[in-house]
Amino acid sequence: MSILILSPFIGAVNLEFREIFIQDSLSSQIFFDLRVPRVLFTFFAGSILALSGLVFQTLFRNALMTPYTLGISSGAVLGAGIAIKLGLGSLVFGIAAISVFGFFGAMFTVFLLIYLSRFLQSSQQQSLLLLGIALSLFYTSCLMIIFYLGSAMQNDMLIRFTMGSLSVIGWNYPIALGTIAFVFFLCVYIYRFELQLLSVSDESATMKGVDTKRVTLILLTASSLGIGILVSISGPIGFIGLIVPHIVAKLHPTTVNNRILKTALFGGFFLVFCDTIVRLISTQSELPIGIITALIGGPFFIYLIIKKASA
Amino acid sequence: MIKINNLLCKFNKKIILDNINLDIKSHLSILGANGSGKSTLAKSICSLTKHDGEILIDSKNIKELSLTQRAKLISYVPAKLEIYEQFITVEEFVLLGRFTHKKSFFDYSKKDKNITKQTLEFLNIDYLKNHLLHSLSSGEQQLVLIAQALTTQSKIIIFDEPTANLDPHNSKIIAEHIKGLKNYHQIILITHDLHLASYVDSEVLFIKDTNAKLYTDEFFKDETLSKLYGVKFNDMVALYD
Repeated sequence: MSILILSPFIGAVNLEFREIFIQDSLSSQIFFDLRVPRVLFTFFAGSILALSGLVFQTLFRNALMTPYTLGISSGAVLGAGIAIKLGLGSLVFGIAAISVFGFFGAMFTVFLLIYLSRFLQSSQQQSLLLLGIALSLFYTSCLMIIFYLGSAMQNDMLIRFTMGSLSVIGWNYPIALGTIAFVFFLCVYIYRFELQLLSVSDESATMKGVDTKRVTLILLTASSLGIGILVSISGPIGFIGLIVPHIVAKLHPTTVNNRILKTALFGGFFLVFCDTIVRLISTQSELPIGIITALIGGPFFIYLIIKKASA
Repeated sequence: MIKINNLLCKFNKKIILDNINLDIKSHLSILGANGSGKSTLAKSICSLTKHDGEILIDSKNIKELSLTQRAKLISYVPAKLEIYEQFITVEEFVLLGRFTHKKSFFDYSKKDKNITKQTLEFLNIDYLKNHLLHSLSSGEQQLVLIAQALTTQSKIIIFDEPTANLDPHNSKIIAEHIKGLKNYHQIILITHDLHLASYVDSEVLFIKDTNAKLYTDEFFKDETLSKLYGVKFNDMVALYD
């Protein structure tokens, strides 16, 4: 909690506490238009990432399944990349085109995975992960084509975008993302007991009267909405969805329905913490957050694979 | 009362069960070789697999029942516990059997928790209630699976090879419980265990080459068994009694 309050005070420019509350001072502008919105945006981003990780891990009953490892983030990146390449800065029904494309990129990937998983036996969950990785590679190649065709300016925008960044200016993005995070959380919370049953098996959930297809579709759509829009604003931020649910499960060893709120909150705090470190160590130009989370997450992913294999 | 008309089940375009017509008035044991379609038949009755033809329970087509109605009517006890959730306790797991009786969105009620407590006591496993499901032996897990099915208080309970993974001692405990449950539920038992089937003492459905034949009492006679399996009943040491 303290990280949330302290975080806005940390950054490349040292702020005088007294000056913050003086209207129109530089400190006040940095604090209220940059730092506070950024911390809130980061908090909601972390919540969405962690919660979608928990949802995916539970629905697919596999600790390695997250929107990031299944290629859904990459789908959103490609969608957003296409929007950037096409120069779609304008709005579609009042929503930024990049966000719309990001959402459809994520959604398309989810449906593709659901479709492809029909050809897999339920015991071949591991293959779904390979499908996700194959899709990620494919999307990356598509993105390379966009790079190849793009102008220098577009490419610079794209490269910055794919590194992931949490810098937002003003209050529009935090408010939008906060709303989406809240709706997503509500969806998961409403279905918390169904999710608990699904953590046993599809079959047993069906036998208890859960409409597994409907619940799975609703939760995957809600996750894709959150991930798609988040990624279209911030770029991909990997591995939060992988790490946070594990840490929360270690700290609070209870069933999944009791970990929903804790995972969302901890995810928020964790990403704010990572972002604060980024702002502490970068003075000249800012180190992209996606790189930091991947640096922590990559080894953790390997650790999970080895632990799973030896179990 | 289960009535099956012209049941046809396929798996990957291969016909598993063909033109099955059955009246299951009371308890039933389903026997047959590996891959003969025993589980397919059971799963069709639960509507877990696709099938052609009609399956009527109390003259209602199961395809027309809602998931909740169906769940209240039939519970299914799998052969083996498969669970992803690491941190679920026995009590929490057994409570899940009350899901269909629970108001959606709200937590499980006091009544649900009481029924869970009574069921655990009934099966003599209340001392396990705070144990993690992962830490139990196969025999204990099978009892917990049965407990979960019992809390649903369904009319029909389907046991899918309940003793397949168990040692003789635990098989005996499970067999006694299944026999005892005949007084309260319609039992459908899928098994390879001839002694279990004979101990539970019900009609026997033998499945072979996509067809099913019902035996009311002559199944455990040596002539029948040697024809079907090539063994006599006493060739195998009786485990129960």
